[in-house]
Amino acid sequence: MSFKRNMITLAMAVAATPAMAANFGVNQANTESVNTERYECKRCTNTTGYTGEVSVSAGYNDVSDVHAGNALGTGKDGGIGAVSGDVKYQGDSGYQAQIQAHQLGMDNGFARLSGGKAGLYQFNLDYDAIKTYQAGDVESPLWHNNGMLTPSDTLNVFDLGLRREKVGLGFDYGQDFYGAFVNYSQEAKTGTKSSSLVSPSPINFGQPIDATTKQFDAGIHFSGQNWLTELSYFGSVYENHIDHLSLPYANDVYSATPDNQAHQVSLSGQYNINRTFMNGRIVTGRMIQDDNLIQMTGNPLQSWDGQVDTLDARYALTSMLTNRLRLGGSVDYSKRDNQSSSAEFAQYNFNSLTGAFRQNVPQDIERNTYKVNASYRIASGYRLQAGYDRKEVERTYSDREQTHDDSLWMKFNVRAFDNFNFNIKAQHANRSGSEYEANDLTSSEDNSLMRKYYLADRTRNAVELRMNHTPTNWLSLDVTTRYAKDEYDDTQIGLTESEDYGYDINLNMAFNQHIDGYVFAGQQWINSNQVGSQGFARPDWAADIEDEFVNLGLGASYSGLMQDKLTLGVDYLFSNSVSDTYVITDGTSPYGDYFSYNHSASLYADYAMNEQMALKITYRYERYFDTDAANVGVNDIPGMITLGDINHNYNAHQVMLSFTYKLR
Amino acid sequence: MKSIFRTLAIGVISILSLTTMAHATPWDNLNSDQLEAQLVEKFEQGQYSPKGADSCLMCHRKNDDVMALFDGAHGKITNSESPMAGLQCEACHGPQGTHNKGGKEPMIAFGKDSKLSPQTQNTVCQGCHNDPEQMAWHTSTHNLEEVACADCHTIHAAKDPALDKLSVNDTCTSCHTKEKADMNKRSSHPMKWDQMTCIDCHAPHGSMSESALVKPTVNDTCYSCHAEKRGPFLWEHAPVTEDCSSCHNPHGSVNDNLLDSRAPQLCQQCHAPDGHASRVVPEPGMDAFGGGKSCLNCHGQIHGSNHPSGSLLQR
Repeated sequence: MSFKRNMITLAMAVAATPAMAANFGVNQANTESVNTERYECKRCTNTTGYTGEVSVSAGYNDVSDVHAGNALGTGKDGGIGAVSGDVKYQGDSGYQAQIQAHQLGMDNGFARLSGGKAGLYQFNLDYDAIKTYQAGDVESPLWHNNGMLTPSDTLNVFDLGLRREKVGLGFDYGQDFYGAFVNYSQEAKTGTKSSSLVSPSPINFGQPIDATTKQFDAGIHFSGQNWLTELSYFGSVYENHIDHLSLPYANDVYSATPDNQAHQVSLSGQYNINRTFMNGRIVTGRMIQDDNLIQMTGNPLQSWDGQVDTLDARYALTSMLTNRLRLGGSVDYSKRDNQSSSAEFAQYNFNSLTGAFRQNVPQDIERNTYKVNASYRIASGYRLQAGYDRKEVERTYSDREQTHDDSLWMKFNVRAFDNFNFNIKAQHANRSGSEYEANDLTSSEDNSLMRKYYLADRTRNAVELRMNHTPTNWLSLDVTTRYAKDEYDDTQIGLTESEDYGYDINLNMAFNQHIDGYVFAGQQWINSNQVGSQGFARPDWAADIEDEFVNLGLGASYSGLMQDKLTLGVDYLFSNSVSDTYVITDGTSPYGDYFSYNHSASLYADYAMNEQMALKITYRYERYFDTDAANVGVNDIPGMITLGDINHNYNAHQVMLSFTYKLR
Repeated sequence: MKSIFRTLAIGVISILSLTTMAHATPWDNLNSDQLEAQLVEKFEQGQYSPKGADSCLMCHRKNDDVMALFDGAHGKITNSESPMAGLQCEACHGPQGTHNKGGKEPMIAFGKDSKLSPQTQNTVCQGCHNDPEQMAWHTSTHNLEEVACADCHTIHAAKDPALDKLSVNDTCTSCHTKEKADMNKRSSHPMKWDQMTCIDCHAPHGSMSESALVKPTVNDTCYSCHAEKRGPFLWEHAPVTEDCSSCHNPHGSVNDNLLDSRAPQLCQQCHAPDGHASRVVPEPGMDAFGGGKSCLNCHGQIHGSNHPSGSLLQR
């Protein structure tokens, strides 16, 4: 009865408080008395022509391990050079153009060129190069040539790394109520990655990478006073130029990554009535992969017609019912319908055909997600938010065909004080689902006590506290601390629990126009426990994994020297990642070293020779160390071949002198 | 030693106790609702200044932050879409009214010192910026968390740091501090060197996907750079197909390859058959189970295999 009465009171309160929306959009302005012809803008400092700066850098890299190239922009040892810049052009009649370049000439750099007439059209031309080094001087007895991996007594020495080079072109056109865009990009990936094959014993090897991804997107949109809609297409084609790999004594021992393509058509829209906003989208897609299969005895197909049809839909709504109360929610649907053909294929047992056949099982996945949320302003500066999310997943050929995750969350924000903001977040979530069954279609049958962590029943509790303090207008302090625990109560074998907690502190200072600085520090711990059974019965071993991460940084700059012409700065970063695993059988034994740390520092002096020209000298230092006890010499493990000890331990230095010319 | 701590403590306390000697304005004592009501009234009256920006700059031209507007897109008179080509300063800050006569009337102000609610501040920006990029703004986490456009964007500048590839990550991580730390873990996407940016995966104005991702699903987002893992493959690895984040943490990990745990432990959290995968691996680097790539020494095609005999993801 009282619940009913409360609901009636709430309904009356909502009805009695009209949700008036302040809207200061220029399209709502009362311009009856405005006569812009009388605007002269004498005091405006309008700039047409070129503005910006261009800089040329030359320097020296002292690099003993190419891995340092990740931090220093290039792994090259010796003399280096680069061009950077950021220049804008503004024409008298509204034409504008901009070019930004960063470290062109180094392994990592980019350039963006855009131009056009505001409110009518714009074109852009982009170039991006990213090189990611994994390890240098990697050793392998296998030499690759045109799909053949030839063993040799002479070790093949190479770098593990990936270079991405992407070129993009785009064009946008728009008028008052409509617009359209077309984008095309092409990315080339080259390098060598770490791979492994079995023939009959395991061999780690460097697999060459040579692939191209082409992306084509186009769309058209229309808008009105309170609505907006867009129809768009996204297409992606992946082409791998590396064929299947063979050994001299075993043909086609490793299949190439197949070419594939994906297409999506999306229709989306937004509509609002006063302070109620809704948006929705429907995306239909298809992923296709029909590369030729390796021809061998026991393969009934020339090529496989892999095809997955996808459908993603969403509807979301949010409404300010009163100036204090906001309600919202969303419904999401996502389906992955695998239409690929299914057949029986002969399977190898090591290197010889056993006659065992297996059928591929194209998996379908269907997801439904429901969310509701409410936000209530209790008083000025105090706001409470709460919500409930439910995610349902159905998958075929799985140990557990249906799971659902329910989550209740709450946030409390305090902004009532001039110099302090507080936020508290808490979440309680539960995963459950249909009966858990071991399934011989998906894998060899597992221990009946095993619960795979991504399907298992799980309880999650999480809390986060955040405080922001701004004692003065030049100082701000953020402190965040968080704790989360996952418990897999029904799991006897598998991941049984995991906790993740930590804090971070960020202090930023802009003391005056000459001095600013920052300090940050944080730590995180992730502890998880898992249990196994060697006897395919009851649990008889366990592993405790204790991860710890430390992160520290500080920096400052001072620009008040030599009549404000000289700026000095320093940045320093330290991070340390540790993962300690303890294996528990009869006793407890540590599972080898697995950690990494780095010290990254840079010092710079920037001197303005005059209004147009500046010289900057930068010194960068990178100390990096990582170790993984699993990485051992090429032939250290009897019966297998590794890529050698690919751990890192180096000091690297870079000195750069840059000359900058400012336009205007 | 004690005296050093005492000096330090006094220093810290005195820094923290400093209060802003901000410019006191006559509307400082209005609360958010009162301020908004007054601004609504002013906005409806529409008493714009007869001379546009010149009236405002009479007083404000000595402020470098104000004048920096003319270095950016919003200050260009020749740009027909710019506020400067229309109502000028008052296009965003509202009609001047009697603000210039003794400075007793408030104007629409933005940023962290503004008492105006973020939603109301944002209506100014949304008056012009209503395009597909902002389509999901109203249901986005940033909007529900009452983030104002001006919290991330700087209009009075030659270049908005949020629109620069070299500074957008700093803009995001000024609030997302955990993700800032994650960038420095043993493995992470190349974010800390700005080779990749947060907005390569997330749409800061909200999207119609989980976690404001730029593509409809988590996997679609990953495939936009890792197209080789898209498949579909003849032999799939179920958790890979379902969700890349089943095994990987895209923000960073203390393990290599952004993995939640390393092999063999990660694999053994799901695989316990009557065979070798259930074996306890007591030490790394001693045999093929714990050396090199561990389980991946043999099951190297862990993301899916297209070999007819690849059901165990070995070929």
